[in-house]
Amino acid sequence: MSESPEMFIDRDSQAAAKAGPGGFPANLGQWAINQVRGMIAFTGIAAAVIWQGLRPLTWRRTVRAEFFEQCHQMGLRALPFILITGSLVGLGMVYQAIYWLGVFGQTEFTGPILVLVLVREVAPLFVALTVIGRSGSVILVELGNMQIGGQVRMLDALGIDPFLFLIVPRVVAVSVCMFSLTIVFIAVALGSGFMAGNALGSMDFTLYDFAFGILAEMGPAEFATIPLKTFSIGFVVALISCTTGLSVSGSRSDLLAALPRGVTKSVLATLLISSVLTLLL
Amino acid sequence: MITGIAERRSILRFEKVKLVTGQGEGGETIDFEMNLLGGDLALINLERPRFGSILADACCGLHQAAEGTIFFLGKDWSALPSNTANALRGRIGRVFIFGNWINRLTLLENILLPQLHHTRRKFADLRGEAVRLAEHFGLPGLPTGLPDDAMQTDLQRAACIRAFFGQPSLILLEEPTFGVYPEILPQLINAIRNARDRGCGVIWLTIEDQVWNDPMLPATYRYRLTARKLMEVVR
Repeated sequence: MSESPEMFIDRDSQAAAKAGPGGFPANLGQWAINQVRGMIAFTGIAAAVIWQGLRPLTWRRTVRAEFFEQCHQMGLRALPFILITGSLVGLGMVYQAIYWLGVFGQTEFTGPILVLVLVREVAPLFVALTVIGRSGSVILVELGNMQIGGQVRMLDALGIDPFLFLIVPRVVAVSVCMFSLTIVFIAVALGSGFMAGNALGSMDFTLYDFAFGILAEMGPAEFATIPLKTFSIGFVVALISCTTGLSVSGSRSDLLAALPRGVTKSVLATLLISSVLTLLL
Repeated sequence: MITGIAERRSILRFEKVKLVTGQGEGGETIDFEMNLLGGDLALINLERPRFGSILADACCGLHQAAEGTIFFLGKDWSALPSNTANALRGRIGRVFIFGNWINRLTLLENILLPQLHHTRRKFADLRGEAVRLAEHFGLPGLPTGLPDDAMQTDLQRAACIRAFFGQPSLILLEEPTFGVYPEILPQLINAIRNARDRGCGVIWLTIEDQVWNDPMLPATYRYRLTARKLMEVVR
């Protein structure tokens, strides 16, 4: 159907009315204010999760059951995928490092390079992306559906605080699983890289030497970086997914719009946390 | 009329309450004045279906009154801290017209959830009570499948089991006979009688004139909820 000029004029005037008297600068200002408000609200929710997570009273049997169920879904069921990807990264990255450093006679740098690249950077980032895709999106859709379907309101009416029952166990479970999966990922990647190097005859040291060499390169900063990065990334990713899911109101189309928004925010937050912690530690 | 209770306590009291039923210009303000005592059954006929959830939410302290005060067991909902309010909501059984079930949990888990959350009763004890209620409502046993796999009639019976489970002080029934009228009526009336005998207040919300006019229902009060006010109908 063709549109008359009047329709365009009407649409333009509507857009102008929507934009308000200040136009683009006003919209930009409003956007900035909304972002700051969102950040403050998010920080408040994060503080509340930490506070409630530390209170023994929060962990009633229903919340504990929810926590274990989430650990099962996000930790145990993600394990095969982490084992496979860890092995592939080990074959690709660890073996390559061992091989090329051996070719150039720089085998003494194997430990430092693997610790710096794999343990500190790649493993937490890779597992975080897996968690975002595998768990974050599931949490977002599940809670969004519950919000639309009235189940969140139902929990409220039954006196079961949705914050305690839905958000706290998920955030804690994702944080714990993120840490655990990262440790498994690192172990598998190093193990498979070592086995590949050994099988292809490009290594002249034992498993003990290899493992000890890696551990010897790990100082306090590395031991602090892994838990800090993994727990904080898991915490933020889960919280973004929960809050984005619960902020959905109305229809399924709102949920479909919220999903990419939540994933994008999670990826950005992951990269930001990873970069900041790398710079600090 | 109930017997055996010397002095009946107030379960739910709406004191000069005005409830707003929507946002903006479409919102209507409804006047409420009601005092539900232990053992009472108030049967409320709704002019519009959405009034049911609003009124039920107001009874649970989830929908704030624009004016006036709503008391539950003598406590003003609006003055309670959230922990206390949640604990009190644990003493309300409710059949929801919308969003009754968490789809990921089995029906058994859904039924037991409020009691598992609010009490420290043993699982076997809870299960035993749920089995008795399931048999009372005409089910061969406790439904253990997922809500999505269950028949509508079984879901409605399971919703009634949860509402009466754990001896609540107030029972809110939003269309409890939906899809199972009239076959569930004898069991439901029996369960309501037992609850009233131990001092529980019951509010039954329906848009069905047939249900509201049913002479089998031993209501203490019959109300009509219009877009303006809650009116008692004396027979």
